[in-house]
Amino acid sequence: MNQKRHHFSRKNFLVGSGLALSLPWLETYAGSQKSQPETPKRFFSVYHPDGVGLPLKKDPAWKDWSWFPRGGEHDFELTKVLDVLEPLRSEITIYSGLSHPAARKVHGHSNADQYLTAAAIGGHGPYKNSISVDQVYAEKVGELTRHASVVLSTNGGTGAPRGTYTSSFNRAGRPIPGMNQPKQIFDSLFMASGKDAVERLARSKSALDLIMDNTRAMKKRLSSHDQRTIEQYLDAVRDTEVKLAKAQKWVDAPAVQVDSKDCHLEASPKEAKQYVQTMYELVYLSFLSDSTRSATYNMGRENGEGPHDLLSKAVGLGGAHGLTHNVKKPNGWKNLGIYNRFQAEEFGRFVQKLKDTPEPNGDGNLLDNTFAMHGSASSSFHLSRNYPIISAGGSNLGFRNGRYLKFGHGNEDNQAGAGIASDKGWRSDAKHTEEPLAHLFVTILQRLGVEVDEFAGYKGGLSRV
Amino acid sequence: MIKNHFFLLALFSVSGLGVGEEQKEISWESLREEGKKRSSYLKGEEESKVLKVLGTKPDLEGFKDVMQPIFKSNCINCHGPKKSKGGFRVDELSGDLLHGPHINEWLDIYEVLSNEEMPPDDKPKYAIKDSVRGDMIDWIGLEMKKAAEARKNEAGHSSFRRMTKYEYNYALQDLLGLPYNFAADLPPESTSEDGFKNSSQLLQMSAMQFEAYRNIGLRALLKATVRGDQPEPVNFVLSMEELALKGSEQERQRLAEEAKQAAENKEKEEKDQKKGDKKKKKKKKKRGPEMSILNYALKKNVKTENWGWSFDRKDLTMPSPSSNVYVLHGGKNLKLNMENRLPDEGIMRIRVRAGIEGKMANQYSSLRIGISAQTSNNANFSATISHRDMPVSSPHTEPEVIEFFIPLSEIPRNPLKNEKGKGRMVNEFISIYHISNGGSHGQKVYLDYLDISGPFYEEWPPKSHRRLFPKYSEADEYLRGKNSLVSFMTKAWRRPVTEPELEKFMGLYETYRPEFNNMEDAMLEVMATVLATPDFLYINRESRREEKQPQKVSDLDLASRLSFFLWSSIPDEELIDLAKANRLSETETLRAQVHRMLQDDRADRFSLNFVEQWLGLDGIDNISVDRKTHGPYSSSLKEASLHEPIAHFNEVLSKNLSVLDFIQSDYVMINQTLAHHYGISEVHGPHFRRVELNDKTQRGGLMTTAGVMTVNSDGKDSHPLKRGVWILERFLNDPPPPPPPNVPEVDLTDPEILKMTLKERMADHRNNPACLSCHQKIDPWGIAFENYNALGKFRTEIKGKDVDATSELHNKQKLAGALGLKSYLLTERQDQFVRAIVHKMVSYALGRHLSFKDNQAVDALASEFRKKDDRLKDLVSLIITSDLFMMN
Repeated sequence: MNQKRHHFSRKNFLVGSGLALSLPWLETYAGSQKSQPETPKRFFSVYHPDGVGLPLKKDPAWKDWSWFPRGGEHDFELTKVLDVLEPLRSEITIYSGLSHPAARKVHGHSNADQYLTAAAIGGHGPYKNSISVDQVYAEKVGELTRHASVVLSTNGGTGAPRGTYTSSFNRAGRPIPGMNQPKQIFDSLFMASGKDAVERLARSKSALDLIMDNTRAMKKRLSSHDQRTIEQYLDAVRDTEVKLAKAQKWVDAPAVQVDSKDCHLEASPKEAKQYVQTMYELVYLSFLSDSTRSATYNMGRENGEGPHDLLSKAVGLGGAHGLTHNVKKPNGWKNLGIYNRFQAEEFGRFVQKLKDTPEPNGDGNLLDNTFAMHGSASSSFHLSRNYPIISAGGSNLGFRNGRYLKFGHGNEDNQAGAGIASDKGWRSDAKHTEEPLAHLFVTILQRLGVEVDEFAGYKGGLSRV
Repeated sequence: MIKNHFFLLALFSVSGLGVGEEQKEISWESLREEGKKRSSYLKGEEESKVLKVLGTKPDLEGFKDVMQPIFKSNCINCHGPKKSKGGFRVDELSGDLLHGPHINEWLDIYEVLSNEEMPPDDKPKYAIKDSVRGDMIDWIGLEMKKAAEARKNEAGHSSFRRMTKYEYNYALQDLLGLPYNFAADLPPESTSEDGFKNSSQLLQMSAMQFEAYRNIGLRALLKATVRGDQPEPVNFVLSMEELALKGSEQERQRLAEEAKQAAENKEKEEKDQKKGDKKKKKKKKKRGPEMSILNYALKKNVKTENWGWSFDRKDLTMPSPSSNVYVLHGGKNLKLNMENRLPDEGIMRIRVRAGIEGKMANQYSSLRIGISAQTSNNANFSATISHRDMPVSSPHTEPEVIEFFIPLSEIPRNPLKNEKGKGRMVNEFISIYHISNGGSHGQKVYLDYLDISGPFYEEWPPKSHRRLFPKYSEADEYLRGKNSLVSFMTKAWRRPVTEPELEKFMGLYETYRPEFNNMEDAMLEVMATVLATPDFLYINRESRREEKQPQKVSDLDLASRLSFFLWSSIPDEELIDLAKANRLSETETLRAQVHRMLQDDRADRFSLNFVEQWLGLDGIDNISVDRKTHGPYSSSLKEASLHEPIAHFNEVLSKNLSVLDFIQSDYVMINQTLAHHYGISEVHGPHFRRVELNDKTQRGGLMTTAGVMTVNSDGKDSHPLKRGVWILERFLNDPPPPPPPNVPEVDLTDPEILKMTLKERMADHRNNPACLSCHQKIDPWGIAFENYNALGKFRTEIKGKDVDATSELHNKQKLAGALGLKSYLLTERQDQFVRAIVHKMVSYALGRHLSFKDNQAVDALASEFRKKDDRLKDLVSLIITSDLFMMN
């Protein structure tokens, strides 16, 4: 097993390199530091590779093993794939007809990179990504918690262009490495900071003192107009001092007291079920302790090479990626459906736990203040359209759940023929219309309190959400 | 074409220049002379007509004549003493927008009038005529513009500013002597109304920006320095001579093997045919890449299989040229698997020995280096990593050595390369591309030797390290550190450092020292702090407090002003030394230094940044060229389109030609890509060169370049409005007022409107009185360019109809196409154009917005400039020696 430690903690942002945490590019945190009675708003995204099983309507497996629900917005019926979510029906929303337009004709294996960024990364040649939605939110609230964001990944690290292992990308479009070992994640999330961090912070402080001193001397020599210009610089330094004081708070803070009884900290993807449950549990504990408000988990890279391929062991099947290729073999659709069902079940378990946990300040439960989403950048088999997305929670943020929201036109039965007869379908012209997923991101960010009206160039939110 | 030609003749007869024979009459020179006669600057008139753009005083007469009568008859009943609907009264309004308190109310009035919301439709008795509405809108628009200017003055302005993102990048490069892109993590700059990014009032500072400076500074310093012994380089050698030998040996063995096999197989065949087949296939399977090597002397090819190589060769002495070569056809590449051997940091040197075979007069060949990786199927990337294509010009019999130096930490890399046990996923490939216009059947590059070495150091420690930590004789590390710091601070701060300042920073060093293993590492942290101070980040900083009279800038400040103007970066040691000796401002010294600076490579940054910002060329990144209309938009056309105006500027600058060449010139600065785009033949190769125009009707000057036309398109078709606004803003410095709020969009769902041509649509839109006043000022300028499509290609037909590029300015001047427009500018608007470019360059040189206060000085400069024949290099000198530049 190739696992390595992706070192990750708040103190890293002071180093200025090897950032696991993005530098909180926060302009206005000074204004937002009201004395904390406000209930935290949280964002979480789980990414799973390979899309879902979508047999054609004429296939006998369609009835039971096609992922999307049947029926209307409120009276929808779940197939066997998602029936595990039936008890949470009123807490979830299922979407169809959403995708990122720039990727609709790019091979599904190349597209996980743009799932949360909506960047036009293309299928080959030069590569450039942009900031992911979780990081936009982390920029806004990162200062308020010990960790600006938590980035998890089964594969660990950044992966490569068009073959990402992480869902999160910083402002410059660079991947933020995902952590993959439960024990190390637990330690870096909840243990106290080391000597290194303390020293680094102290160095920054003395540097800022000197800069302040030096600049004040310069200011005296300037005209009143230019003094106003330099005053802005001094403000920036002061703001940074405030930031450091906050960092100091986290550095000084003792270990966070969380209950690790539901964590299997030594689990690896070989112990698939325990591993996935532990990753969810770590996010749950970070939210519960308000250690972060923005988290992503990349459950696996696209394509089969890597530890994430072992996760289908959880349901006694081998080679998760192979399941998508074997759908035309006996029980093929069923096996893929069973694996998708497992993914939904674990997401549901996490959602249920948030629901069962009262918000520490008494404002509803954790789920009410959390928007959690679960999805993939292809519907089925290399086809980068009609992303299968489930969201849960967020009722205090303005989300109304218990709905199946269909967007776009012309594909009411969620057919995805690509790759079944041949592997050409992914680059075919779409015969139906879909809505840009980025509009949903705008809505999410707005409801989380980020003042934006566009994401990656897509203006406005998504109607009906 | 015929149409155009006809027009020309007509125009010339109007201008009274006589109609001559076919081509000869197109004399831009005579138009220029004609225009000069009309120049107010040349006549020495105090204030030319062009300059009376705006007043500085409120137009209270207009208020009385235009606004008040309508207010009294049509508004006051609802918005007056009886009723004040919306809490708003017209009778209490001050007509002075410049100083009065009611600017917000006026903005509201402007909006409701433009939108035809007031007077309301349900009160027909208060309705006003369209023409009256238009007058009111015009009056408010103009007064608002004046008010904006006046209030800008209230705020005051200064050249004191922080560096821009690109200046900061150059400054670090020059300071550290490294060509890296340091500033990528800084947010992009916003652009002033003039289009400039270095305008003082826009260059804000924030905590985020400040933190980025601290991080970037430390990272850059770490990159510039090294620790310990020189690392053993990875050396990769590919010698065709060696491979050919190997190949011949392989071939001998193979032939022997095959003969043996053939004999054995013959026996087996009879026994077990099927199995035998399988085995045979298995044996023939190649185990590694195959390469064919040509011995051009013997005219013989040798194939070598499985051509392994070593990465740890010590000796990189080049063998003498060999007649065994690898043949690289045009458009092809040689792709080399570097496995995961290339180091993460440092410079990679690539040397290729190559020559041309079958040289063709109209073909060129150059080499380009690329990197790529394929970490799984569909997870791949590739990128060009050589800074620019290197031409191959020698014949293959006397090959030349072409070198590339590529910083490994600055290029896209395979992020998985250091993971263990990942097989093919960790590989990286270096490709040598043969870029040529000859295609795969054109001239060939013969390549007989190449090596790749990295990290490559000419010396150890490298220069960039020695720059920061020179060899000092002192044994005491504190003193060595102090010496290093003084030298670094002096360069970074562009001035001598005072003793108290130095003491403070050495104090910081002493605080840090115990946490580090050596002096250098602790000192780098201190130096990073130096790079985060305003003394480094801000320029033009020596404005004194509250001095009534403008003061001459100090020599040290002058050094920075000069270098940020002409090099977009910090001054070099020569400038600083002259400034320290107070000699820089001496006329002769200054002249010599400006000359030296313009000769320096760093002056390319001036052409690049000034022209790009002046013309707004970076807008090309926001244009997505419609594939269905234009086919694929090649990166070479995009780059060439961007570069042409810069090359044109360089030509005019280096030869000290007239800036009127920007309106129209008898030549263009193009390469093969653009020549092809323009339909000009016999231009070969990717480099830009001056090409004299045979047909002077379509091209010449800056306005009709592909770059300018593309930037002002919507990617699909021409965009006359954008083009019109561009001419007014960029070329004539007469920006139209901003569009009123909520301008009605042209309704493209209306079948009547869909039927119209673009020009008719614009005319229809203009008929809306809220739009008319602006559009009649803008549209005609843009319509004149209708002969150029979205990418600046010349056309005589649009959708089967003849192009109609005639238009009429609001002063009734008729413009017949771009040619007519150029002629008109040359004959009637020379002063305005020349003043505009003076204004733009002064604004860029000072790094600030210009306002009324500067008008007189700009006029004086323009006048002097015109008298010196409008020559561009003279303008640079004039600006530098002007009071605007030399005084605070």
